[in-house]
Amino acid sequence: MLAAGLTLLTATAAALRAQESTATTNGGVYSEAQAERGKAAYVKNCQSCHGETMNGVDVAPALVGATFLGNWVGLSVGDLGERVRTTMPQNNPGTLSAATTADLVALILKANGYASGATDLPRDGQLQMMIRIADPKPGG
Amino acid sequence: MPISRRTLLSGSTMALLLGRAAIARAAAAAPDTEWRYYAADQGNTRYSPLDQINAQNFNDLEVAWRFRPDALGSRREYQFEATPLLVKGRLFVTAGARRDCIALDAASGELLWMHRVDEGQRALNSPRQLSGHGCAYWTDGTRERILYVTIGYRLVCLDAATGIPDPAFGTDGVVDLKQDIDQDLDPLTADIGLHSTPLVVRNMVVVGAAHTAGDVPRLRHNVKGYVRAFDIATGRRRWIFHTIPKRGEYGYDSWVDSDADTAGNGGVWAQMSADEELGLVYLPVELPTGDEVGIYRRGNALFGDSIVAVDAETGTRRWHFQFIHHGIWDCDPPCAPILCDVPHEGRIVKALAQPTKQTFLWVLDRTNGKPLWPIIERPVGKGDVPGEWYSPTQPFPSKPAPYDVQGVSPEQVIDFTPELHQEALELLKQYKIGPMYTPPTMSRLGGPYGTIAAPGAQGGTNWPGGCYDPELHTVFIYSKTQPSVLGIVENTDTAVSDFPLLHGIAGQAPRPQNAMGSASSALRPDPESAPPPRPNPPGAQPSSAHPLAPPGQLTVQGLPLLKPPYGRITAINLETGDFRWQIAHGETPDYVRNHPALKGLKVPRTGRAGNLGPLCTKTLVICGEAGYFTNPQGVRGAMLRAYDKLTGEEKGAVYLPAPQSGAPMTYMLGGRQYIVLAISGGSYSGELLAFRLPADA
Repeated sequence: MLAAGLTLLTATAAALRAQESTATTNGGVYSEAQAERGKAAYVKNCQSCHGETMNGVDVAPALVGATFLGNWVGLSVGDLGERVRTTMPQNNPGTLSAATTADLVALILKANGYASGATDLPRDGQLQMMIRIADPKPGG
Repeated sequence: MPISRRTLLSGSTMALLLGRAAIARAAAAAPDTEWRYYAADQGNTRYSPLDQINAQNFNDLEVAWRFRPDALGSRREYQFEATPLLVKGRLFVTAGARRDCIALDAASGELLWMHRVDEGQRALNSPRQLSGHGCAYWTDGTRERILYVTIGYRLVCLDAATGIPDPAFGTDGVVDLKQDIDQDLDPLTADIGLHSTPLVVRNMVVVGAAHTAGDVPRLRHNVKGYVRAFDIATGRRRWIFHTIPKRGEYGYDSWVDSDADTAGNGGVWAQMSADEELGLVYLPVELPTGDEVGIYRRGNALFGDSIVAVDAETGTRRWHFQFIHHGIWDCDPPCAPILCDVPHEGRIVKALAQPTKQTFLWVLDRTNGKPLWPIIERPVGKGDVPGEWYSPTQPFPSKPAPYDVQGVSPEQVIDFTPELHQEALELLKQYKIGPMYTPPTMSRLGGPYGTIAAPGAQGGTNWPGGCYDPELHTVFIYSKTQPSVLGIVENTDTAVSDFPLLHGIAGQAPRPQNAMGSASSALRPDPESAPPPRPNPPGAQPSSAHPLAPPGQLTVQGLPLLKPPYGRITAINLETGDFRWQIAHGETPDYVRNHPALKGLKVPRTGRAGNLGPLCTKTLVICGEAGYFTNPQGVRGAMLRAYDKLTGEEKGAVYLPAPQSGAPMTYMLGGRQYIVLAISGGSYSGELLAFRLPADA
């Protein structure tokens, strides 16, 4: 079981490394089902501070729109995942699993207009580091 | 002979002994300055008369040192909002995710001491996390103290020389602020905390109160945010001010029935100011419970949305002024009133200037609360929320004019291209719009989803506040243009809130809003999953190929709904009440500049939305940017910009690896002027950055 998992991981990593110079968030890097899971996790863990429309409320910033993108475009998905995983939710950080974190990042990508694809965003932070957050293609 | 203050004072003797060149050198070595309060002084002017750093050499600034609080707390902090104090060569500040209090060598950035309190679950339950805005300093000329409020709402008093708690203060240097507050509070779970610094006044320290942001209040009967003063020698409470009056106290009758008995919040989460000569402390008071729904705090409800001047010795109210009657726009006063002496109608008035979220600068006589220019009560509209109480009028200052967008109309929406403008107009059809103080509206599926309010719930101006130049009698304020949707939905889930009406969007499940820790999370049942956002609400006929943003999201193809500037600095002359200048502050965000819909267009600098506090020196207004952008060389970062204080012309800009997240301060030390500010954002954890000119300048 473990060997199969590692093989899958290696294959995925290799596939990504092959596209390393071009893997961006415009390449369909998460799945619709994953974003749905992310939505459920968002309501449970994040909505109380970041708002039901992800536009932020009082102390917490928006997770969509030009302000958010201005801070994250150019960085990697892994940077965003790391930030979520280690500091969120603010009153209980470090409690989100890697899987839940990836689902939440998928939701954030969807909310910012990046199109979904066939496969889930990997839960491994190192793999996420290989995906660059690019300017979204609007109208998607 | 070493050059020191003492030798400078005995100037004539030196002249005889040292000769001309040495005199010139001595004259150039300016005396050390101090920065004893969050914004320079008790009046929160954030002003320093230093001019070693000026328009000619600002671009020559170098990083003198950097301090990274990463090692403090159990994880990194990405929202470093503090401004340090500077006294006799040491910087004092709070930093890190645990809000440790630290001292640094102000010339080298070396850590001298740190103090931490491990509060366990009490800290996790706090509504105000992370390192906060800093600490306070007191001295009697011999003894020195540093005071700060922990995440778990305790007041700590340290010896400034060593960082060791003063055993004479409270219990081993600590006063539990959840006690002695004229209420019965659970020490572990009570919804009270603080980000702002305490304020030292004479031999006392005044402490405010903050709560979980009140959009979706869990409890009607929340903690009341009373303000207290404590004796610095002993930690004993000297006075308390009931920001929500008790029966029989002044202001109780401004509430309908006995609403004042049960409502909570009404804290002072902003920085406070004090005038020791007048013997007054100025408290900017927030709304009582329910930022957009006031059904349980009916009436004008003093002292919500007010400034109160209290006697420094007794805490008794001397005067008050209410900025908004029965506010339902979450526009509580966010920052300190700036104390300023201004010429007015032939005399000098001891005034105060209060910047606000709704972007009125209120200018009052600080001895009695009377406005310098007339304030007119004007009728405003009623809303449709059942059970809500509406004030028939609101106060409008005749001067100065509002310094940012107030109210929403079709003329204010994005207009880079006719197509974007049309899409914006389509979006507007789903909401209610109108002038300032258009009330929130019930949110309905298909529209209207709510009232679009500008300024939004975060302002306008927010917690860092403005700065003031005493030579030009001019206030400089940053504000952002960022509207909010104020929709109200019904709520039957008592686990979420015991309010039947909440701030929300139709079609989304009302969600619990509390920053309480895992203990209370366990008590809540799993909220049902909200349906996914609907890109095309039924009935809407978008005229373009692009789907409208989901309900509650005010963007057009991802671009902000209202046209720029998205962030601006305004210079307001208090001699006349007129603007000196207003500029867009902050480089255009990458996503706007690179947006396909704007291809080929030349878009002027748009400014950037954020929460910023500018610094004023003898010649410059200095402020960092609120967000990242990528420069033509492909380098990602933000800029610390300097503007001519008289004209607003940009005189210089130096690179910051991350946006300004704490207001800057400045000091002279060893003959060199420093500018120090906290930066953080995105994936860049908090850092304290110090700039100064090259040694051979």
